[in-house]
Amino acid sequence: MNAAALPAPGLITFVPHNWKLAVLLGLAVSIIAVASLPAAASFWVVGAMAVMVGAAFVINAFRREYYGGLLVTPAIAVLFVMNIFPLLWSLGLSFFAYQSNQQSIRFVGLNNYIKVLTNDIAAEANWNALVNTGMFVVLTVAAQMVVGFLLAMMFAKQFPLRKYLLILVLTPMMLSVVAAGVFFTYYYDPTFGILSYVMQSITGEQYILMDSKAGAVAGIVFADAWMWSPFVMLLVLAGLVSVPKYLYEAAAVDRVSAWRRFWTITFPYIRGLLMLALLFRTIEAFKLADLVILLTKGGNDTMTISYHLIRIANEQNKSSEGAAISYLMLFIVIVLTNLYLYIANRRSQGN
Amino acid sequence: MTAMTNARGLVTAASLAATLLVGGTTTFAVAEEVVLTMAVPDWPPTRIMKKFFDEQYKPASGNIVKLDVDFIPWPDFYTRVNASLTSGEQKYNFIVSDSQWLGAFVEGGYFRKINDLLEADPAFMATFNEIHPNPKNAYSTYPHKSENYYGFPQFPDVLVNFGRSDVLCHADEQANFLAKYGNKLPCTGEELDAMTWDDFRNVGEFFRRAKGEMLAGAPAEDDFYGIAYQAGKGYDFSSMQINGFIWQMGGEIWDETQIPTGQAEGVVNSAEAVAGLEKYLSMLEFMPPLAKTGTMDIFKSDELFREGKVAMNINWIGLGEASLDPNSSKVSDKLVFGQMPGTMVDGEMKRWSNIGGQPFVLTTWTTDAQIKEAVEFVKWWLSPDIQRLFAAGGGQSAIKSVYEDPAYITYRPWNRAWAPQLDWQKDVWHVPQFFELLTQQQDQFDLAITGKQDAKTTLDNVAKFQQDLLTEAGLIQ
Repeated sequence: MNAAALPAPGLITFVPHNWKLAVLLGLAVSIIAVASLPAAASFWVVGAMAVMVGAAFVINAFRREYYGGLLVTPAIAVLFVMNIFPLLWSLGLSFFAYQSNQQSIRFVGLNNYIKVLTNDIAAEANWNALVNTGMFVVLTVAAQMVVGFLLAMMFAKQFPLRKYLLILVLTPMMLSVVAAGVFFTYYYDPTFGILSYVMQSITGEQYILMDSKAGAVAGIVFADAWMWSPFVMLLVLAGLVSVPKYLYEAAAVDRVSAWRRFWTITFPYIRGLLMLALLFRTIEAFKLADLVILLTKGGNDTMTISYHLIRIANEQNKSSEGAAISYLMLFIVIVLTNLYLYIANRRSQGN
Repeated sequence: MTAMTNARGLVTAASLAATLLVGGTTTFAVAEEVVLTMAVPDWPPTRIMKKFFDEQYKPASGNIVKLDVDFIPWPDFYTRVNASLTSGEQKYNFIVSDSQWLGAFVEGGYFRKINDLLEADPAFMATFNEIHPNPKNAYSTYPHKSENYYGFPQFPDVLVNFGRSDVLCHADEQANFLAKYGNKLPCTGEELDAMTWDDFRNVGEFFRRAKGEMLAGAPAEDDFYGIAYQAGKGYDFSSMQINGFIWQMGGEIWDETQIPTGQAEGVVNSAEAVAGLEKYLSMLEFMPPLAKTGTMDIFKSDELFREGKVAMNINWIGLGEASLDPNSSKVSDKLVFGQMPGTMVDGEMKRWSNIGGQPFVLTTWTTDAQIKEAVEFVKWWLSPDIQRLFAAGGGQSAIKSVYEDPAYITYRPWNRAWAPQLDWQKDVWHVPQFFELLTQQQDQFDLAITGKQDAKTTLDNVAKFQQDLLTEAGLIQ
């Protein structure tokens, strides 16, 4: 008899593979536990019920020889424990008034979302940080794409010492952000820093980069581009070296201009990788906090939404308000990513 | 071998075994091993404590007591301790806590009240009562100035004036300063003590030298500045200085001892407070240009001073050791120390200043055995001999009999400023909302420091925020 076609047990048959009964029992016990036990105890009861339901599914699958499903189970279990569960937990938290350094918790519905969107102080700070983040996304990604692209064009050609220069150029990407941040702090320092020293010897005036918003933003964008342009370069370089040589040779025979050669031969080969670099860097830039913390502490109006979130959730212990902001951010990122994928797909289909 | 000797041998062996067993268990019972896990900021005052403990501490109980210390860098200290406490990992028995944290962590149920420990031990109580009332209130009490005690001073600290005697005492500079301002350029410790903020400002203006201009009889190797103090956006790196200005000018911060009637609006942004902040801001132009970027925290101003870029710097004693060490300081052999400048009000010198330093506290999950050893350790730590050694090794003591000893001022050059400053110390708020109050205030002060808004607007914003937040929290009615 085919194992997959084994008859399902009756709903109230107590056998280990009766997953329907396990789900019902698990739900019932969990609801009772949440309603009657203190949070610290009910947490473990619900956890045990989840394990029981999981076990019933596994035994059932084993009995029916669903080996494919069984093989991916560990991966799914890890994903659930490490990703999905915390996500759901924090989503739940965003509907409560909860501070991690206080013992009380209270259901407030959508109040946290209303607060972060409409409160005259909180919403203004969030909005401001979000606008700054948008600005950093545009500036840092643009700088990295341009610099990375130009570097890749340079390294695609053979020239003396290319190998060693390439290692040098790739170094910033491998440095810890903290090391890079401290390095740039000194680089920009008006007393000890080389930047002010050089500017002063040229203009004769005292030069302070970080004392205005434009200067502070430029400082952060430069440091970020310095670190991450090599990443864009690596991806673009991979595209450039994959262009078949004979296409260029044919173009040379046809005396095609360099500009045309680039647009009709090179660009189609690297476009996919450029898009990938753009996607990665945009997502990363959205999370920019480390360099801001190290260089300005959010001063000179350089507060980003990630740093703002760190302050609210980790330093001020307003866990549920932080969760609400995170979910709004997640929503924005998902919308933007889908928009991007939609446009990218339509383009490639158009061609 | 006879049966007799056999039997005797057996008895001997048995008794030997019994002795071993009993002896073994008794020694085991006596020398119990107790581990105290501690979170501390990584800087000299805590390194010295750990060194003293390892080298000198002999527990009276005969137990083997180990102090397992996590040294955490200052900029991460609050975040790390906060994360450890709120995550519920219950890792630390002892925490060196900044005084402002008391409310947040007492209300969270993490810090253990110590009244019962003090009452159970009269000798301990006597030691505790020897602590100067200002540090005691700041480090131990929550609600502030109540009789609920939580902490013991680990390292008490105040702001003092770090000066460079080679430029301040130079004959040319002395003559030029006298000609320009009509009074003597402060040079000795006593003269530094007598300074007002106006004198401090004059020093700043006077010593502003571009590279190549004459400084103390030789061309300056680099740009030189007269004065520096903290003006950073991070943590509390401007509030600690600004509060002193506000108090000296007769202003107040929100008073947590007046809950729930004490208001924020009208107090925090009073005319006196605005005048204090204006005074603070007015001196930034004489400081190293970093002051204009909002990143001149206590570590940066200390570094600028040690690198010989400024003549005077107001900073915590806790950072002083590095300036005495020739390996880390270009000015180690030309130092003079005085009290932080004050403000003359009706012929009387007002010296109010924000207290620094940290208490250590016990956590609520610490077991009885650990508490017993912890109390023994604290008693040892606060005993006059150890406090003297600590002060001589670069620490500081708030125990009266220790700092009133004439020998005390000989330990370190800044100690002469210590005892007189203690009477003038106040502290910021200790309520659970302190970090929100602090970050918003630091953000606002940063806007003023970087020239984005004036003192009045700044304090109006701070007052409104505090009024809203504290009303919502039920601390203002």
